[in-house]
Amino acid sequence: MPRSLLNLGPRLRPLFFCAYLVAQLSIVAHAQKSPDLLFGFQMFNASSQLKISLFRQVRRRGRTRLIPIRDGTWVFKDRSGTEHTYRWQDRIRNGNLRNLDQFVHAAYGLRAQLFRLEAAVHDFAQHLPGDSETEAVIAEVDTLENGREGEHVRIQADRK
Amino acid sequence: MNGLGQGWRRLFDEQRDAWVLGLLRLAISALLFFNGLRLILELASGGYFADYFHMPLIPEAWLPSRSGYQLLLGAQALATLLAFVGVWPREALLTAASLGLYFLACDRLQYHNNRYALLLLGLLLAFTPCDRSFILVRGRKHALSPEQRRAPTFARRLFQLQVSLVYLSSTVGKLLDADWRGGQVLFLRFADAPRVCAQRGLTLPAWAIEIVTSRWFASFAAMAAIASESAIVLGLWFPRTRRLSLWLGVIFHLSIEVGSNVELFSWLMVASYLAFVVPEVRERRFEFVAGNARAELLARFVAVFDWCARFERLTISSAAGAGVASAAFYVTNRDGQRASGALGLAQLAEAIPLLFPLWLPLALYAKLSTNPRAKAVSSA
Repeated sequence: MPRSLLNLGPRLRPLFFCAYLVAQLSIVAHAQKSPDLLFGFQMFNASSQLKISLFRQVRRRGRTRLIPIRDGTWVFKDRSGTEHTYRWQDRIRNGNLRNLDQFVHAAYGLRAQLFRLEAAVHDFAQHLPGDSETEAVIAEVDTLENGREGEHVRIQADRK
Repeated sequence: MNGLGQGWRRLFDEQRDAWVLGLLRLAISALLFFNGLRLILELASGGYFADYFHMPLIPEAWLPSRSGYQLLLGAQALATLLAFVGVWPREALLTAASLGLYFLACDRLQYHNNRYALLLLGLLLAFTPCDRSFILVRGRKHALSPEQRRAPTFARRLFQLQVSLVYLSSTVGKLLDADWRGGQVLFLRFADAPRVCAQRGLTLPAWAIEIVTSRWFASFAAMAAIASESAIVLGLWFPRTRRLSLWLGVIFHLSIEVGSNVELFSWLMVASYLAFVVPEVRERRFEFVAGNARAELLARFVAVFDWCARFERLTISSAAGAGVASAAFYVTNRDGQRASGALGLAQLAEAIPLLFPLWLPLALYAKLSTNPRAKAVSSA
């Protein structure tokens, strides 16, 4: 008969059984509060969509301006004349978030994608080496909640 | 209270045949391999995940380095292969599933319900005696003797509960969502169907588009999906309804597989149904007339595809008490009902995994047939 450390003894079996079950039920219950329903087994939960438009907040001649980031890309020339190219898609690979200026499916619902987008915008803003001009990255998001027009969301990530 | 105590003891002390658990191990380890392969391909084509935007559930310091990640992916692939061929299969299964859960914790963007469910089921399966059959490295003698295969299978119950929990959470989520239960979510999905079909080179006829994109159809489909999931989650737990629930589940997942991209989910859930199969083997009989070409072909089919070892195969002449055979084959089910023709085929289909989707149509045909060739004879 095969021996295995995973052959639990009679005393351990109920413990393992109950511990696993309690842990799973707690995780599933807790998942309902999570914005992206992580570990919640919520399949096919929405047909919502979102459209992300990105902007940079820059300061030029003493004035703050909002510049659209076309196709997620811009080029910045530093004082030495060296050009730096920044691309949203180089940093953000996630399928739902990398597509800009077009409506895309919000997998796991709008809350999930807005939660992830907020983290993505902040992450992107912190990964712009050499760009001394951009003060903040801003995402303007149009939403369609299961076919109905949803709220407009603005996410701003200041660079520190 | 006494009954409850007995049930509790039976849950943890019951010893059942582990044959089917070995088959389940093959399926789950193969799915784990493909899940890991996806990560390897993503690493090869897209690069190391931590070089880009990621959302770890664990402290950043706990993430593996690039080379560490490559090593762990290699270890996971090796573990799934070991589990598949049967070298330390349970330990390998636990390793592969644990590494997969760790990878999920490294980046919540990687999270999908099907991946998480696969890893949990792989982990639970490691605690079942799934190492007593389908040990492929042993060749033809891949299974231990029936006495050695009997072992405590309490973790199989946990596996079953986990499968039910997946359905239950999904059903409750849909029921609580007004857009889902009202059909709005599916209406928007189906509205996109003509475009998706066109992308795949399929042109739907106008009447089909009209039906598929109508509100009533979406509403009906939503109710059907919720009802199906509810029926599956409940029906799996009662012997009288289990077979029908499993059939409904197989059809449900096959239809999802055709209409949606759900990665390995459909295959995972269909494979997980093996945990609900009665563990005992060779409780049915397949008798065939030696020398009858069609019957022998069917017998060969049964020999190859009876993966759950449901049937004892006998030639008619050697079957005790078979009497004079008027049909080319007879199938005797667990209740002792001996049948040939369409009913015999239905009884065959209910126990052969590849034929299982045909079980209900065959059974209904056999029942409704005006001139049935089926002969039900009690073998008692």
